Amino acid sequence: MMTHTPETDTLKIRDLSKTYGKFRALDTVSLGVDQGEFLTLLGPSGSGKTTLLMSIAGFIQPDHGQITLGGRDITHMPPEKRSFGMVFQGYALFPHLTVNDNVMFPLKMRGEKGAQAARRVAEALELVGLSDKGIRYPRELSGGQQQRVALARAIVFQPHMLLLDEPLSALDTQLRGQLQSELKRLHRAVGLTFIYVTHDQSEALSMSDRIAVMREGRLEQVGRPDDLYDRPANRFVAEFMGVENFLPPELSGGQHTLALRAHALELAAGRGRVAAHVTERDYYGAEIRYTAHTESGVPLRFKIAAGQGESLPQEGDAIGLDWQDKDALPLADH
Amino acid sequence: MSSFARDNASLPVRGSAWTIICLMILPMSVVFAVSVTDRPYLSLPENGVSLQYYRNLFTSPEWLLSIWQSFVIACVSTMVAGALGTLGSIGCWRISSGASNVLRLVMLVPLMLPPIVYGLGAYQVWADLGWINTYTGIIVAHAMTGIPYVVITVSTALAGLDPKLEQAARSLGAGMGATIWYVIFPNIMPGILSGLVFAFIHSWDELVIALFIAGRNVFTLPRRMWDGINENLDPTMAAVASVLILVTLGLLVFELLGRGRKR
Repeated sequence: MMTHTPETDTLKIRDLSKTYGKFRALDTVSLGVDQGEFLTLLGPSGSGKTTLLMSIAGFIQPDHGQITLGGRDITHMPPEKRSFGMVFQGYALFPHLTVNDNVMFPLKMRGEKGAQAARRVAEALELVGLSDKGIRYPRELSGGQQQRVALARAIVFQPHMLLLDEPLSALDTQLRGQLQSELKRLHRAVGLTFIYVTHDQSEALSMSDRIAVMREGRLEQVGRPDDLYDRPANRFVAEFMGVENFLPPELSGGQHTLALRAHALELAAGRGRVAAHVTERDYYGAEIRYTAHTESGVPLRFKIAAGQGESLPQEGDAIGLDWQDKDALPLADH
Repeated sequence: MSSFARDNASLPVRGSAWTIICLMILPMSVVFAVSVTDRPYLSLPENGVSLQYYRNLFTSPEWLLSIWQSFVIACVSTMVAGALGTLGSIGCWRISSGASNVLRLVMLVPLMLPPIVYGLGAYQVWADLGWINTYTGIIVAHAMTGIPYVVITVSTALAGLDPKLEQAARSLGAGMGATIWYVIFPNIMPGILSGLVFAFIHSWDELVIALFIAGRNVFTLPRRMWDGINENLDPTMAAVASVLILVTLGLLVFELLGRGRKR
């Protein structure tokens, strides 16, 4: 599943666990992060992805396990000593400081001042395209600009890595797409390790070198985006990757549950590999989306391109469905 | 909108509003009139105004000593209440759990109890500590009962502060102390200043606890006023009251200006 070589890891997380009362926020999580990698922690809310990020940042003390950076144990190191840049969902800019002073803050905390510090601030602001906003206050900037200031502030002190906690979720869709490509550009430009938390699988797929899918405090699967998309390890990951159909072994005829995307199912000329009856039919112009149920009640979703001239099935019709073996994703469990 | 409301306010509404304002303000303003009386006892002026009791106040060693003692006590107890109340509020804000809400409520207890209850209790405990009739005794009592004012104003200021600012500051290399100093303090300064003003006023005109704890050595201004009323109805009392009101008003104006500038 994990194809990279652990020897080149800079950050290693070993058997990390954290419980709040009876709630297991992290359950023996082990993960290695390569130098310069863009790793995304993906999962629904409550899956432990933010807890894991906050443990890496040093704001949450794990009950068990160890975090090492370049072989050094940092499990109990306070956050201000770790030198990890951080970007938050609500930006968390200091409202009483100008943009320049916000970006200067980490340098000031390290005792850097004068012309050299000012030059580094200017460089960081230039990197995010905000050179002309230095004397403004955060409240005078748009959400996207504030997020860029937060980025400049988090990288100006050349941190070991950048931790990003759902940094784009407060922005509208269009701006989010724009900032996604800016983040990727920034990642390439500075060569830093990025650890990025999101619940948005399309964001994860488009930006990451690797994705770690989490559920209930556990890592479900870690791999490259195409690994996860084409070879989901289980039903949860498959559903998170947008797979709609799951055929249990007794219907698929194999040993495993088969995951099938809606576009992989097609109407059979005859009885097909699975028999079902149409329960729902929705017209979308370019295509018609169907829901059918098998006799045992398994729902199946598929699409037919409109305007094919053939007689299309109606609600209540008995149909057969086929698929190509190359499109079927066998799942290891359930 | 506001002119609409003004035009439509009926006579009874306006009348009762003015009555309430008069009931609030007039008893205090009477003190000013009495303070310039030309007669030898507490009364309104008869044949003209006289500043003799102000002269008396600012030349009498007893009154001047009480003013000085009250000022010192108010300053020190305000600093103590300010420091403890601010840090306590920040702590509760950071923890922000059920326990910290209970703790914040505990810090408000001195405000909810009648001062006479606190005074009586303090008298018993301070007697054992040897704090009766000492600066320490009054300062500690005033500082403790002043804490709620600071907690209320600082907690209000903190409620508007993003808790992630602390995490941001620490991820950027600021320890806890630097975070409080460079990030939290500047953002809640208006709340701290308001709290200090209220804590100062609280100590400056506090009587009940002073009745229990103050004595010959430490004789605060309200305590001396109280004795003045009980013993000889000296109009100097009214002059003192006038000064007290002016100082308090001055502090409130300062507080309002500070708030206005923030907005």
